[in-house]
Amino acid sequence: MAREATLARPLARPLLTRRAREVLTGYLYLLPVVIALGATVVVPIVRAIQMSLYRNVLIKPQEYGFIGLGNYARLLDDDVFWLSLWNSFYWVFGSVSLQFLGGFVAALLLHQSFQGRAAVRTLTLLPWIIPGVVVALIWEYLYQPNYGALNDLLARAGLMTDKVAWLSNPSLAMPAVIATNVWRGVPFFAIMLLAGLQAIADELYEAARVDGAGVLERFWHITLPMLRPIIVVATATRIIWTFNYADLIFVMTSGGPANATQITSTYTLLQAYSNLDFGYAATLSVVLLLIMLAFTLLYLRVTRGVEPVA
Amino acid sequence: MDERWRLSRRQILKGMAAAGALTTAELAWWDEPLIAPRRAWGAQPVRFQFSVPEPKRTALVESLAQRFNQSQKDFEVKVEFVPQAQARQKLITSIAAGTPPDVAQVWDNWVGEFDGMNAVEDLTPKVRDWSGYKDVLPLAWETVTVKKRILSFPWVVTNDGVYWRTDRAKEYGAKPPKDDWNFDDFLAYAKTMTKPDKNQYGFGMRGQGTWAVLYATEFMYANGAQVLGKDGKVAINSKEAAEALDWYLDLFRKHKVCPPSVPTDGWRGIVEGFGRGVTNSYIHNSGSSEEQKDFVKPENFATVPLPFGPAKKRSSFYFSETLTPFKAGKAREGGFKFMAWAMEPEPHFMYSKALGLLPARKTVAERPEFTRDPALAGFIKSFPFSIVSPYLAHAGWGGKLDSEGVPLFQQALVGRLTAREFLDKFAEVLSKNMS
Amino acid sequence: MRSRGGLDTAERVLGGPVLWAGLAALTAFALAPFVWVLLASFKTRAELYATPLVWLPTSLSLANYVEAWTSKLTPFSRFFANSLWVSSVTMVATTAISVLAGYALARFRFAGRQTVMLVFLATQMFPAVLLIAPLLSQWHALGLIDTYQALIYSNFSFTVPFTVWMLVGYFESIPRELEESALMDGCGRFGALCRVVLPLAAPGVAATAIFAFVSSWSELLFAITFTSQTEMRTLSAGLLFMVGQYEIQWGQLSAGVIISTLPVAVLFTVLQRHLIRGLTAGALKG
Repeated sequence: MAREATLARPLARPLLTRRAREVLTGYLYLLPVVIALGATVVVPIVRAIQMSLYRNVLIKPQEYGFIGLGNYARLLDDDVFWLSLWNSFYWVFGSVSLQFLGGFVAALLLHQSFQGRAAVRTLTLLPWIIPGVVVALIWEYLYQPNYGALNDLLARAGLMTDKVAWLSNPSLAMPAVIATNVWRGVPFFAIMLLAGLQAIADELYEAARVDGAGVLERFWHITLPMLRPIIVVATATRIIWTFNYADLIFVMTSGGPANATQITSTYTLLQAYSNLDFGYAATLSVVLLLIMLAFTLLYLRVTRGVEPVA
Repeated sequence: MDERWRLSRRQILKGMAAAGALTTAELAWWDEPLIAPRRAWGAQPVRFQFSVPEPKRTALVESLAQRFNQSQKDFEVKVEFVPQAQARQKLITSIAAGTPPDVAQVWDNWVGEFDGMNAVEDLTPKVRDWSGYKDVLPLAWETVTVKKRILSFPWVVTNDGVYWRTDRAKEYGAKPPKDDWNFDDFLAYAKTMTKPDKNQYGFGMRGQGTWAVLYATEFMYANGAQVLGKDGKVAINSKEAAEALDWYLDLFRKHKVCPPSVPTDGWRGIVEGFGRGVTNSYIHNSGSSEEQKDFVKPENFATVPLPFGPAKKRSSFYFSETLTPFKAGKAREGGFKFMAWAMEPEPHFMYSKALGLLPARKTVAERPEFTRDPALAGFIKSFPFSIVSPYLAHAGWGGKLDSEGVPLFQQALVGRLTAREFLDKFAEVLSKNMS
Repeated sequence: MRSRGGLDTAERVLGGPVLWAGLAALTAFALAPFVWVLLASFKTRAELYATPLVWLPTSLSLANYVEAWTSKLTPFSRFFANSLWVSSVTMVATTAISVLAGYALARFRFAGRQTVMLVFLATQMFPAVLLIAPLLSQWHALGLIDTYQALIYSNFSFTVPFTVWMLVGYFESIPRELEESALMDGCGRFGALCRVVLPLAAPGVAATAIFAFVSSWSELLFAITFTSQTEMRTLSAGLLFMVGQYEIQWGQLSAGVIISTLPVAVLFTVLQRHLIRGLTAGALKG
C-alpha cells in the first residue's frame, strides 16, 4: 500500500494509530449492514435449522418437541417431496433454457440500430420489472378457459374446437406456468446479453469481415466466445433464482392440479401455510438451501476461470 | 467532470442523506403514516372475524355489527373480513400467537381442530342457560358438539342439493330433475344439457377444496358406502364406494359433461360457472341461491335433492356456519353477548334470508320466506335424509381432507389414480389421523 | 469461400425484413398481455363475460378503477399508500446502510474482506421461503405483526446483499487519488465519501436504490405472511387477497393490476439507461 504511506501524515496526536483508526472506521461502516442482515438473514437461518429439528405443527401444540432428524427421515419417505424436486428441475430447465433462447434473439434484435430503438427496448423489457403477482394474474386471465384471450384466439384461428383449461390439466399446467415465467424472464437475458454485445469491439467484426467471414461465422467465432462469460454468469444466476422462485406458481396453481406444478419451494409454502407444519416446512427449506449452496459452490468454481469482458 | 453537474449531484445526495437519517429515526416508532387507526373509546372492543367477504355479506355483517353496537354501550364489535381461502390459516396462526379474535364465523368442520389446539372453551353450561337453547334444531347443536361439549353457536345450517336450469332444460328438451330422481336421470340430464359448441356443460363438478371430496362422498353414500364401519375403523375403500366414485368421476373422465376446468374449480369456480351460464347444474349448499337469483334470475333455476344411487339410498351432508368464541380472546363476555344477540330471531332471520342459508332456530326456519322459496326447496326436502358430515368424526381429519384428500382426489379426476387406488390411499390418510 | 455479394444479401435480409419481423414479434410478445389487461380494465361486467368474447370495450369507463381504488374490501388507495411507504423506506434505508458498507469494503483493508464479499453473494441465492417461518416467529415475538417495520426489515434480507455487492463495484471503479486530495485537505473519511465519492457514484447509487424500490414493490411472500389486516396490505398482497374473494372480479382486478404496474413501469422507463447499466455491470463483473 504505497499510496497510503503518502497519506500517513499525523494530524494531531491520535489516540490510536492511523492504521487502527482506519480499520475501526471500516468495521463501524459495516456495522449497520451487519445488524440488518444479522437480524433478517443469519438469525432466521439458524432458527430455521433449529426449527427443522422439532415437531412443530401449529394445530397440534401438544405434540411440540425435539425430534432430532425425524423431519429429515420423513422427507426421504415423502413421495411429494421427490416429485417436487423432479418438478423443480423441469421448471428450472424449461424456464431458463427458453428464457435464454428468447433473450438471445431479443438481444441480437435490439443490438441493431434502427429508429425508435430506445422506445422498443424499454417496452420489451417491461415484463421483467413488474411484480410477480401481477404477472401471474395477467396470465391466469389469459389462460382462463371461458373468457380468457388464449382460448378465444385459438378458436378464432380455427386451431381449437374444445375449450382447453390450461391450468387445470396436469400435463398442460407446467408448460403453462413455464411459458409465463419465460415471458417474464426473457428481458433479463436480453438485458444481460445486450450489455455483452455492446461490449464487443466493432473492430473485431470489421477484421473478420475483411477476412471474408459470413454472418453465421462471425456469430459463431466472435459473438459467442466473447459472450461466454456473461452467458455463464447470467444463466447461473437465473438458475438459482428460478429454483427459489415461488410466487408465480403459488399464485397461479398453488402447486396443483394434483401436484403437477408442485416445485420444492411451493411445497415448502404449502407445508407452512396450509398444513401449518412449521417444522417440516423448515426442513424443506433447509434442504433447499443446501441444494442451492452446493450449486453456488459449483458455480463459483466454474466461473473462477471465466474472466469478465468489461 | 463538470463542476456545476457535480454540485447538483451533491445537493441530491444531501437530500437523500437527510431523508435517510429521518427515516432511520422514524423507523423505530412510525406505524401509521397516513391514516391513524380509528379507535372506539368507552366501549370494550370485540373482534369478530368474518370469513366470506362477498359484497352482500360484508354490507349485511357491517350493519348487524352496527345494530348490535347501538343496542348496548358496553361493547363495540369490530368486524375483520378475511377471504375464505386464508381464514383457517389466519385463525390458527393467531391462536398459536395468542391473539385470536374474540369471535369468529367459521365452519363446523374447523371447530374440532381448534379444540385440538385447546383454543376453544366448553360453552355447554352457558348455552343451556341461554333463552333460545330449545328453539335451535338438535341436529344443529350436534354439528358443534365435540366430545360431548358444545363449543360454538350454530348460526345457520345447510345441506347440499342440486341447482339446475329450468329455462334451458325446457329449451333443450331435457327431462326436468324430480325430487326422487336417480343416478341415471342425473347423467341423462347432464348429457342433454351439455352443448360444447355453446360453451355449456351439463354439470359443474367441484375439484378443489374440502367439499370436492364431500360431494363425491355423498354419491358413495348413495350406493351404501360408509366412511366409518361399525367397528369404528375407516371403511371408505369399500366396493360400493369404488363403484359410485367411478360413476361420479366418469361424468368428467368419460362422459365429458363437465367443463375442462373441473380439477381447479373450487367454490368460486362452480358458483361462477353456473352464474355465468357455463354450467347447467352444480351441487352446493343453499348459500349460493341468493347470488344465483342475481346472476341467472329466480325464474330460471330451481333446486332438487341429490339423486338416489343404485342402492336406493341417498344422503346430503348437513353442516353449520358457526359463531365460535376463543379462550384467549380479550373480550369474552362481549363476545358471548354478541353471539347470543346474533341468534335472536330478527338478526338471525336477516342473516339467513339475505344469504339463502337456513336458520338454525325452528321458529325462524318455519317462516314462509324459507318454506315457500323454490330456490330453497331442494334443501328443505333433503332434511329428512341429511346427516352430519361423517368427516366430523375425527378432529384430525378437518385439515387433512384439504391438504391430502383433495390432491389425491384430483389425481383420480385426471386419471392418474383409479377410483379404487384413490380410496385406498385416502383411507390410509384417514386411518393415520384418527384422534 | 463465399463471394462478397452473397454476404451482403444475407446481411440485407437479416438486417431488413427479418429484423423488422423479429422486432414486431418481440414487441407483440412483450406487450400483448398488458394490452389485454388494460382493455379488460375498461370493460363492463357484461363485456367481460360475454360469449363470444368482446375484445374492445365500448367506452373508456373508469368505473373499475374507481371501484378498486375506493372499495372497502380491497381498498387499492390504501394498498398503494402502503406499498409506496414500505418501498420508499426500504429504498432509503437500504441505500444509506449499503453505501457505508460498500465504501468500507471497497476502500478499507481488513481481515475477512473476501469472505464477507462471498457471504453477500451467497445471501442473494438464499430461498425466500427459508426465511418466512423464522421471521414470522421473530416478528411475533417482537410484536411487529401488522406493522410496516416488519415488512421493511424483512425486505433488507434481499435488498441489502445486492446493493452492497453492486456498490462495492462502483466505489472500486472510482480512482482513489480523487479522495486522497480531499483527505489531505482535512476531510475525514466520511467527508471524503460524501463530497467526492458519492457525487461520482451517483448514477450507480441511484440505480441500486431504484432496484431496492422495485424489488420491494414486487415482494409478495413477506407481505402476505407478516400482515393480516386489510389496511396493512401492500399492492401485491392486496391483489392476491382479491383473488381469494368470493368471485374473481376481472374488471377490478385488471384495474388493480394496472395500478400496481404503473409506478414501476414509469420509474423504469425514465431511468432505464442507468438501471440497465447498473444491473448488468454486476453480471459483467462476475
